[in-house]
This record gives sequence, C-alpha cells and structure tokens, in this order.
Amino acid sequence: MKSISKPYMNPYLAGIFLGLVLTGSYLILGAGLGASSGIARVAAGLMSWIMPAHTENSIYFGAWGKNPLAYYLVFMFAGTFLGGLISAFLSGRFGFEMEKGKKSPTRKRVLLALIGGLLVGYASRLAQGCTSGQALSGGAMLLTGSFVFLVCLFAAGYAGAYFVRRQWDD
Amino acid sequence: MIETFFSLGQLDTANALFMSLVTGILFGIALEQAGFGSSRRLSGVFYFKDMAVIKVMFTAMITAIICLQTALSFGWISEQALYLNPTLYKAQIIGGIIFGIGFVMGGWCPGTAAVGAASGKWDALIFLGGAVAGSALFNETYFLVQGLYAERYQHLAFIYDSLGLGREWFCLLFVAAGILIFWCMELIENKTIGKSAYLNSQFLKRFSFVLAAAGFFLFLVTRTLPVADTREVADFNGTARNIIASESSLLSSVNHAEDHMEPEELAQRIFSGSKDIVLVDIRPEDEFARFHIRTAKNIQLKDLAEQLEPYKNKGWVVLYSNGMTHPAQARDALFRIGYQNAYLLTDGLEGFVERCLKPVSLRSEPIPENLAAQINQWRRFFLTDSGPPDEFKKPVRPVQNLADMPTLIDPQLLAARVTNPDTRVIDLRSQPEYNTAHIPGAFALNIESLRGNLFGVPSCLLPAAMISQHLSLMGVRPETFVVLVYGDKVQDATLAGMALERLAHEEYTILSGGFTGWKSAGMATDTKLPDTAASSYPTESKDQFTVDYKTVLSHMNHRSALILDVRPKAYYTGEKSDEARAGHIPGAINRPFDQDTQKTGEMLEFKPIPELQTVYEKIIPEKNSPVIVHCRNGHQASQTFFVLRHLLGYSNILWYDAGWTEWAARTDLPVKIGDSP
Repeated sequence: MKSISKPYMNPYLAGIFLGLVLTGSYLILGAGLGASSGIARVAAGLMSWIMPAHTENSIYFGAWGKNPLAYYLVFMFAGTFLGGLISAFLSGRFGFEMEKGKKSPTRKRVLLALIGGLLVGYASRLAQGCTSGQALSGGAMLLTGSFVFLVCLFAAGYAGAYFVRRQWDD
Repeated sequence: MIETFFSLGQLDTANALFMSLVTGILFGIALEQAGFGSSRRLSGVFYFKDMAVIKVMFTAMITAIICLQTALSFGWISEQALYLNPTLYKAQIIGGIIFGIGFVMGGWCPGTAAVGAASGKWDALIFLGGAVAGSALFNETYFLVQGLYAERYQHLAFIYDSLGLGREWFCLLFVAAGILIFWCMELIENKTIGKSAYLNSQFLKRFSFVLAAAGFFLFLVTRTLPVADTREVADFNGTARNIIASESSLLSSVNHAEDHMEPEELAQRIFSGSKDIVLVDIRPEDEFARFHIRTAKNIQLKDLAEQLEPYKNKGWVVLYSNGMTHPAQARDALFRIGYQNAYLLTDGLEGFVERCLKPVSLRSEPIPENLAAQINQWRRFFLTDSGPPDEFKKPVRPVQNLADMPTLIDPQLLAARVTNPDTRVIDLRSQPEYNTAHIPGAFALNIESLRGNLFGVPSCLLPAAMISQHLSLMGVRPETFVVLVYGDKVQDATLAGMALERLAHEEYTILSGGFTGWKSAGMATDTKLPDTAASSYPTESKDQFTVDYKTVLSHMNHRSALILDVRPKAYYTGEKSDEARAGHIPGAINRPFDQDTQKTGEMLEFKPIPELQTVYEKIIPEKNSPVIVHCRNGHQASQTFFVLRHLLGYSNILWYDAGWTEWAARTDLPVKIGDSP
C-alpha cells in the first residue's frame, strides 16, 4: 500500500484547514477541539463497567455520572478516529504496521508507546487537556494556561528526546 | 450574536453530539492529511528532522486566532458563549512537563494516536491503551493532586494580560513570530535532512505575505474595536456648543435642548478618557456613596458655585441627579452667574443606567451591534469602581454599588412612600396575620400562588405570563415600586422577588425587618382592604438566571461555576433526607441560607452587609464568578440569591429552582454523600 500512497498535504494548508475546523468548533459547539477527554471518558466507562460502585464513588470519575460516555468529546473522539480512517483510506495510507526504527527492537517500541501513553493520559487529566484541548484550542483563545502548557510540553519533549532517540534508529 | 450549544446549555443534546461527531471527523481528516497518522513524523519534530508539527500547529493557531478574535471584536460571539479552560499554573506546568516526556516517548498525543490507530498503526493502539490506563490512574490518585485545584472556581487568564500587552499587540506579535518560525523550520529541515520543500518557495513567500496582511488586519480590528466608535466622538467634539449670552438665549438653548447631554455621549466621553469633562453628582452624600457614575464629583447645590469656580467656562460641566428638576435648577443658577458650559444629563442618573448600563440581554428593543458592543464596554467600565479609565481592559471586572439594584427599605422610608400611588406594598404573611393588622394599603399575597408544577417538577416558580396575571390583578405596572413584606420567613419575600425578576421588574425592595420591623418602629397599621383597578402587566419573560439540571450538570462537569447548596447541613451531608436520594451535587459547597439572617428579639432580618461580605468573600473569589444557588425547591435559595445579587453585588448568580427535588429524583445524575464537596 505504501507505494500508491499520496504525499501528505502541504503542512501550512493543513494548518489552515485545522484552524478553520477549530474555529467552527468554537462557533457551533461553543467549545474547542478535544481528544484526551474522550479517552478519559472511555476509561471511566470501562471502570464503571468493571467496578461500578467504586467508580461512582470516586471523586473524579464519579462526577461524570453513571454514563460517562454520553458526552460530546466522546463523540468528537469517535469522529476523529473515523475521519482518520476515511482520510487514510482515501490517501492510500492505511496499513497495519508497528512504526519504529528498523534497528530498534519491537519490544522496546511497545514499552515506550505504552509508558508514553500512560504519562500522556495522566498528564492530560492533570492539565485539563492535551495538545488538542489545552494547547491548540486554549492557545487559539489566547489563554495563559494553554501557552504555559505548550511551552512546558515542548521544553520537556526536547529535554527527553535524547534518551529515547534509539527507538527511531534505522 | 451567535449562541452556541455550550451557551444554550445544550451540549448534551443529540444535535450537539452529532455536530461533535462531524467536527471530530473533520478534525481527524485534518490531522491525517497533515501526516499526523505517523509517529515517526510526529517525533521528527523533537529531532529537528520533520518540523511539520510546529508548522501545522502554529498555522492552525494563527488561523483560529484571526477568525475568533475578529468574531469577538465585532461582537458576533461573546466569550461567555465559549467554554474556556481556566488557568491553573501548577497543574498546567507539571502536566505540560509530564505530557512532553510522554509525547516524545510514545511518539503520539491523544488526537494523533486516534488517527494513527485508524491508519493501522499498532503503536498508536498501544499508546491509546496506555492513555486509558493513565486516565484511570489519575482518577485513582486524584487525592494526591486535588490541592492543585483548590481554588474552587478557577480563573480565566488571557496571555496578553498576563504579559501586560494589549490584545492587539499580542495578536500582531504572535502572527509575526509565526512567520519567522515557519522560515526557521524550513531552514532547520534544509540543514538537518538536506532538503526543504518550501524554503524560498513562491508558496511560502505568498503565504508569509498573506499572514502578515491578515495579522495587520487583526491588529487594526482589535485595536479599533475596544475603543469605541471614533466617529461618534469626533462628531461630538465637532458640535459647536453655542455660547449662550443672555436670558433669552438661555431659554432658546433650553428649547433646543442644547443644554442637555445625552447619556450615550457622556458615557463615551468618560470612557475614552476625556479630561475636559467635569461630571457633577448633586445628590445627597449617602446616595452618591452607594453608586455614582465613574469620575463624578459629589457637590451639593449650595456649594456648586464655589466648587465649580475652577471649571467656569472650561470644558463641559455636566450635572446630574436622579431626576431632571434639581440639575435643571442648578444649571440655570450657574448660567445666571456666567457659566456657559453647564449641561444637564438627559434623563438623569436613571436614564444613564437605563440607556448605557442596562445589559443588552435585558432590553426589549433591538440594539444595533456596535451599540451593544459599546454598552458592554461601558458596563465593564462604569460598573467597576476602581482604577483610572485606561485600566479598564484588565479582565477583572468586579461589579459593585449598582444603584439600580433593589435592596432593603427601612420602615421610616417606606412610611414616607406608602401613600404614593406608584408604590405597591405586598404582604406575604398568612391571611389571618394580614387580616389582623397590615401596613396601610398593603396587598396580601400567598407565596404559594406563585408556584406550581412545571412539567412534573413540583413547587417551581410559575412562568412569566402567570406571574404577570397575579401582578395585573393587584394593579402592579412595570414602573410600580414594589415593597415586599415578610413575616417569619425572609425567603417568602425573596421568592416573590424572583417572580418580579422573572419579569425584569427591577423596582422592588424588601422591607427591612419585615412586618415585625414595621411594628417595632411604631408605624401605623390598618385592617382595611386596599382597592385597585387591574393593570395589564407585560407577560414576557426576561428570566436569565433560572437554570435547569442540564446547565447545572454542565457547570459541574466543567467546574465552571460554584454550586452553593443552601439547605441545612444535615441534608447536604445526607444524614437527613426527605427526597428520592440523600446527599448533594458533587462539588457543591454548603452554606445554609439561615446563616445569612439573624433574629433580634422577635425580628428576623439580614445580617449586616459587611459581615455577609466577609463570609462570601471566602467562598466566592470574584464578583463576577458564576455561582449556582439551589436548595430543595428554590425557596431558601431565593434568599441566598438576593443576598449575593442585591446585597453584595455579585453579578453572575444563577438559580436552580427545581433543586434537590429534581436532582435527587433523576437517578442519572450523580450524588455525593458526606461532608466534603
């Protein structure tokens, strides 16, 4: 499939497109884009399925009620997946693959993706948003907290990049 | 003005969920097309190999900033219609750092991982699994970080204020920085991987040019629109104000209304920081202390000539009072001693409040959008009582000393007004009590007649049309000054106040101390029934403060408002319950309503305002913080509403009338038991 895949969109035009989607989200929904809330709601949904009493009584997830999945950001997250699927198919970029450097062992990549996901999942709740909901959406409304988050995110990313560089070694 | 699903409290409706899905699809397409379905590409940004993340993100931010700031400037949408993340420095700094480390390890962030998983990337799926676990971990360890959210209602902070720049300058600098960053990104790619797709390309040059032009446009828009319509100021400056030299020219100037200044003109002059306007409030000192137009001096009639001497025939001296008679006399007196620059404020202070400061949302007539924007600016400026004019742009806008707010009336003051046909005293005590003795001319009203079953929820305040019928039958008109009298429950008067507010009847007040206060002040009572002709009170609802459970739930989820549960403590904790379920709304704070009143002998009255102020300052951070008050059925909460809104001047108080009756009965809503919010 790789051979017939279309090239990526011009990043600047993709940025304009993304900015317009974000604007539309604010003007219609009254809220920006978001992804991590959808993930957290899935976590809450899973937990209230496995241990309903514990989840309902927990302070954070408990506040989301008995059906945490009935929330607009859950639908937005589902849409994001669908949109990605549509776009990947249309551009010939769909294909099962573990993305990593050729020389890097699969086990290492799995472990890093898992721990990375764990940290990101936790940090998104802590900061009340991720790159989409906090950095991009909040930044577009010129919110101080969002800029602070964005700066810290990139600073930590660049600081940590050296230690995990080998996973991309070809 | 655009209403959003959020501002309508409808973010949980099927339509909103569908629109969220559509928005998500577009979001996913944008991310995938940008190439963010690949962790290698995303990670490239941290190794200076592929800077697409920064290019896309900055372009998206700049695009959205240009669109949204323009929409805000032109008043197409208001900040209130948007859900904005509060700023919490500690949480966002620590969160940002952990996120950055997780991002570079995993090679994904939540949105891109969704797109990556949709493209078939196993590592994206694993990352998402980790993120689900991380969210659950946060829930389990929430007690560790709970302190970071200790400010119950977290404040909104804008970067331009935090940096001490104007909004327009920040926008301009941000766009300029963006262009610079784009060229740097191309240079970096050119250096690290030996090629750059856009460096020196025709595209990037044109794109930079378009961005620069858009940035400059935004600068002009954001700079021009907060300072009000300049044309009007110019026109006002250019108006030749005739020099009046004789008694006949005085009369002629009065005739031609040249001795008047319109409230809008005055508001605009003061707002734009005009130095040559001397605004004089000639009301008594105590009224002045309660509220006055910002920048006004308080000068009593007898001292006018002396104190205004420095301003004789310099600039504009504008006089005002509640009505027009006193200022007109003062103005004529000044004219006779040679002042040719004294003017009256048309319609006095009341007109100023009505025309310049009344919220656009409460007006029945349509308001042109530029005037609406001006009114909002004036409200921010004139309802703030600190700081010089040029500081108005700061986002803190405490609302204090609103003169048009109904408060309390003393028995002595009421006694002086009671015979006025424009005053209507409404007695809310039981009928035997009323029949035995009441304030002369008072109308008896059973508070329960204003409540009923609304769509299954019992004891809700009736719709505006039904309230207006009750008022019409008591001969109340919109301009009637209504005085509410309670017996042993202050909340009877405040609930009647809510009924009046539903019709935007602002001219009402509560008799301090209730009927007992009246009696103990030694005032006359009567047993005669009053007599009146019916009026026809307008039936339109102006209710902006009653909220339903959906709004409460949304605020609860977003922590975007402070929820005050005013029931007695045992009901809050769940020890006692007369409802479907015991406990309270998660996150709600308990402040029992009866702690706001005190009993002196037989007389029940509000505690002194400074005392209430001290208590609520600790609970509610700012005067404009959104607060939802509720009790079991709206009755007790109406009292807290009155205290906050009218006695203490909190501007954003919402009332969940259906209250615990409804919340407890709807088992889909979360409930918390125990002491803690």
